[in-house]
Amino acid sequence: MTTIRRFCCNDLLRFTSVNLDHLTETFNMSFYMTYLARWPDYFHVAEGPGNRIMGYIMGKVEGQGESWHGHVTAVTVAPEYRRQQLAKKLMNLLEEISDKIDKAYFVDLFVRASNTPAIKMYEKLGYIIYRRVLRYYSGEEDGLDMRKALSRDVDKKSIIPLKRPITPDELEYD
Amino acid sequence: MASKFGLAGGIPERRVRPIWDAIDSRQFKNALKLSASLLAKYPSSPYALALKALILERMGKPEEALSVCSSAKELLYKNDTFLMDDLTLSTLQIVFQRLDHLDLARSCYEYACGKFPNNLELMMGLFNCYVREYSFVKQQQTAIKMYKLVGEERFLLWAVCSIQLQVFCGNGGEKLLLLAEGLLKKHVASHSLHEPEALIVYISVLEQQAKYGDALEILSGKLGSLFVIEVDRLRIQGRLLARAGDYSDAANIFQKILELSPDDWECFLHYLGCLLEDDTNWCNGVPNDPILPSKHMDCKLSHLKEELFDSRMSDASEFVQKLQAGTSDNTLRCPYLANLEVERRKHLYGKGDDDKLMDALMQYFFRFGHLACFTSDVEVFLEVLTPDKKTEFLEKLKKGSESLSTVPTKVLGQSITILKVQEVVGKMYKLSKSELEGSAVQMVELYCRNLPLSKDLDPQESMHGEELLSMACNVLVQLFWRTRHLGYFIEAIMILEFGLTIRRYVWQYKVLLLHLYSLMGALSSAYECYKSLDAKNILMETVSHHILPQMLVSPLWVDLNNLLKDYLKFMDDHFRESADLTFLAYRHRNYSKVIEFVQFKQQLQHSNQYLVARVEAPILHLKQNADNIEEEERVLESLKCGIQFIELSNEIGSKSLTFNEDLQSRPWWTPTSEKNYLLGPFEGISFFPRENMTTEREANVRRVIERKSLLPRMIYLSIRSASALLKENIEVNGSLSDPKTSSELKFLLERYAKLLGFSLSDSIEVVLGVSSGIKPSSTIDSDLIDWLNFAVFLNAWNLSSHELAQPNLDGYKAGSWHIVDSLLEKYISEKVRSMDPLICSPWVDLPILVQLVSEPLAWHGLVLQSCLRSSLPSGKRKKKGGPDSTSPPFHAIRESIQSSCGTIEDVMKWLREQINRPEDENLETTLSFLQGKGQNEGPGQVFKIVETFASSINDTELGDWISQAVKCWSPVDVARKIVTGKCTVLSEFLQMCGSKMKLLQALKQQIAQV
Repeated sequence: MTTIRRFCCNDLLRFTSVNLDHLTETFNMSFYMTYLARWPDYFHVAEGPGNRIMGYIMGKVEGQGESWHGHVTAVTVAPEYRRQQLAKKLMNLLEEISDKIDKAYFVDLFVRASNTPAIKMYEKLGYIIYRRVLRYYSGEEDGLDMRKALSRDVDKKSIIPLKRPITPDELEYD
Repeated sequence: MASKFGLAGGIPERRVRPIWDAIDSRQFKNALKLSASLLAKYPSSPYALALKALILERMGKPEEALSVCSSAKELLYKNDTFLMDDLTLSTLQIVFQRLDHLDLARSCYEYACGKFPNNLELMMGLFNCYVREYSFVKQQQTAIKMYKLVGEERFLLWAVCSIQLQVFCGNGGEKLLLLAEGLLKKHVASHSLHEPEALIVYISVLEQQAKYGDALEILSGKLGSLFVIEVDRLRIQGRLLARAGDYSDAANIFQKILELSPDDWECFLHYLGCLLEDDTNWCNGVPNDPILPSKHMDCKLSHLKEELFDSRMSDASEFVQKLQAGTSDNTLRCPYLANLEVERRKHLYGKGDDDKLMDALMQYFFRFGHLACFTSDVEVFLEVLTPDKKTEFLEKLKKGSESLSTVPTKVLGQSITILKVQEVVGKMYKLSKSELEGSAVQMVELYCRNLPLSKDLDPQESMHGEELLSMACNVLVQLFWRTRHLGYFIEAIMILEFGLTIRRYVWQYKVLLLHLYSLMGALSSAYECYKSLDAKNILMETVSHHILPQMLVSPLWVDLNNLLKDYLKFMDDHFRESADLTFLAYRHRNYSKVIEFVQFKQQLQHSNQYLVARVEAPILHLKQNADNIEEEERVLESLKCGIQFIELSNEIGSKSLTFNEDLQSRPWWTPTSEKNYLLGPFEGISFFPRENMTTEREANVRRVIERKSLLPRMIYLSIRSASALLKENIEVNGSLSDPKTSSELKFLLERYAKLLGFSLSDSIEVVLGVSSGIKPSSTIDSDLIDWLNFAVFLNAWNLSSHELAQPNLDGYKAGSWHIVDSLLEKYISEKVRSMDPLICSPWVDLPILVQLVSEPLAWHGLVLQSCLRSSLPSGKRKKKGGPDSTSPPFHAIRESIQSSCGTIEDVMKWLREQINRPEDENLETTLSFLQGKGQNEGPGQVFKIVETFASSINDTELGDWISQAVKCWSPVDVARKIVTGKCTVLSEFLQMCGSKMKLLQALKQQIAQV
């Protein structure tokens, strides 16, 4: 029972129960607002009965040439609404927008190498581990760069895994 | 223009680059050196100067930066041959902005645009300046100029947004929208529109003028194809049709959306609303409160004739059946919840059938009963049922669940659901004490028994059955409320801490614990819980209500200072950067976000919590420095002697306030920070509605801010007024007594009295009456701190005005000193005596005691300091003609110091007794509350389960991490957390009293030497 709509500023005042979860980062305001100002189509919220916020996804589209891609910056679901495939629905929406509206080649995301439950979930959604980014998280933990090819990448070139891990300064985009 | 290739502000780039690099790498000293040599070569280059200003500002030299910046500006203005490039201007702009001189930055751009009227880059810079200053009219004018210059769609939209801002965030009339519409119409006719965002704005301009037909026409025309996602277009179309009152077409559109996305609950509500021609959702432009949307789905009783109503409802049912049949996705809840809504509407129309509704509820339970959201999904439907029917439904659920599922996690989910429904329908409040105990036992048993289900989960994932401990805590707190038996309370703390031992991330436990520790007086433990929530950035606005009110009246000043500082910094930073982000939305052509951002900033600026924090932060500094009058005067000076706060106090009455706190996460017993049911007697209420108490809270916040913001000024004036007392004896004509101070203080006293509900003379009567015992001390109980503050300031005023000593006041002789002394002594000693001696009992009175010492007593200390300071022989007049130490004022001061010493000593004695009690004894007392006396009732039943479970764990069954965690469980540690949490508060308080005592001793010595 999900109304998925664009995220708006007031949702920042209502997503408390989602963000108090320790795995969900609460960014600074300019971070959220930059995403809203630049990529409003990539920032969606799911609402349940009683206008309760069930979860949300934020992302962007960037890159050049064949690296033009959608990026998932954060996706999160409140504990009360877990195990209902909501994350999948939100991810599918972002993939669809990347694919249909922005004609991107792939969608990617970063995940903590230790976050096994999330990695498993993304794999189920068709993402593969493209490469490892050494000490990506605060210079400590490794991150995994996971990707899923979209229809424009006919040969699925974007998802051929890289053999060696890279360091954060080798990343093309933040 | 100067932005020729290779040139930066008219200077070759290779010369400037090293400076940029040095700034970027924060080597400011080096940058300054390089800038000096650049200036040697280009002494009159505004850009070189602007760079220097930038460096100085970064080095923390704002005055120098401003002066250099101003020179650069003058150069720009003076010399016409200089190039006006955007780089120079934007560099100046950055510095001016950081120095809070947006006006100077703007005037640079205004000048440049005047010089080069057709330069688009400069005009955009100027537009940006207006955005920063929220000058909507100027924005509009500049955007129109740009539009006229290049004819681009985006500049037209900038102008339109600026018009909308005037209407919705400024004071422009709605007629302006007609202008926006005209501009758009003309542009569309010649150029059409090319971006969906532009279309959204166009439609909104029409919608805001109730021109729904026109908007629909545009949407269904060629422009409509700008929406790539069909559902987006349909949603707007449905909304416009409904607003236009064309319900049948609107219903069809919403039906279409549901066919495309059958889980869209909001859309279903719109669909049903349109079928019943109910305009609740559409009649008012703004959907009620954006932050607290109504949980109860508002709807009007349908005015349709019965026959028509029946046929529409059967249409709806048929459509719902179709939706259900059409989906194979078994996670879709909407088509099933829709059935419930149909039954609910029938109920509201007076044609309800309880059995049908219950049947639909059961069906929903069979499908989704195991989900954590089941109860919140159906809450609103349960409200329709009578109490008897609710009970019947509960019985049905219990029976129905028996044969449902065999998957253990689902079985657990259903059991939890049944317990939650029991809570929601108010059943818990009808249970007997032993039934309640049984219920809590059942919950905790269920939790322990099902722990093995989570053994393969990652420790970071939420576990199965986690909410059971929160629910058990709710029951135990209710038992405490009913019986006042502290054991239940401590038991509630124990089981939540047990839960956190197993998985330390559960924020729901932390929030409950935070409130339990707070009520116990173990505030430092509560604050630890709060910190572990990691509520940063915007969460500070929505979450800090859990802790801030308690901290404001606590002696934990260092923590409170951090709390206030971080919060204010977050808010002020946002206010500073918000306009730049708005400009970003303009630049990226996401026009709909422009208005949203500006409105959001206003929403935060009017935050009641923000205003409270803005007043409380300086008051905290005044409290912290009150024992040193020189330091206090420095603080007051930085507050412009309290003038600004007087302004705030004046305007708060007419300011609209916003309430952004997330109250949903508060426990049932304290639905807002002003309310705590546990402080009152048990009421047999069956349900705790989280009703919208905004009006009540708004009045309360206004009152608090209005009073508190008078304090800094009154303290300042009191210090001045008191300094006149002894000086007058020196100056023959008494000219040092400042009549302005006296009259202003009197004026503020009148206001303060009025805020307490009295005239000045009546409030003087009150404090006189209470201090002399003629009036009962309970007279001023409800605003105790304010009354005592009043008495202190009254005395200070009287020291220079002497109005009180006049015989017309019932011949009262002892003077205003005595009023203050006796009031302070009376209330402080009373509180100390009434304090519960047990370390593990809730301390309701402690915050009041802390406030008495940290406010009126502290302010009185300042009055004493000021009096004595002025009596000190200074410079030339050494000893000659010094004040007479046997004079009546000296006598009064001496007595007052003595009295304050005695009062403080009482408090310190009590504090030492508490703190010095052996820890073992305290722990033992705390734990003894949980030891049942061999019977199977009373507190301790639930705790026993946890204890038994922890002592007999099965490693293989529980898995590694859970059994390891359970092994760490230590009830003694939890008891220690309660005890040390309290002792820390007491120690801080003792320290505060110690500092006051030291001051009073010093004053005593001083006066002895005079």
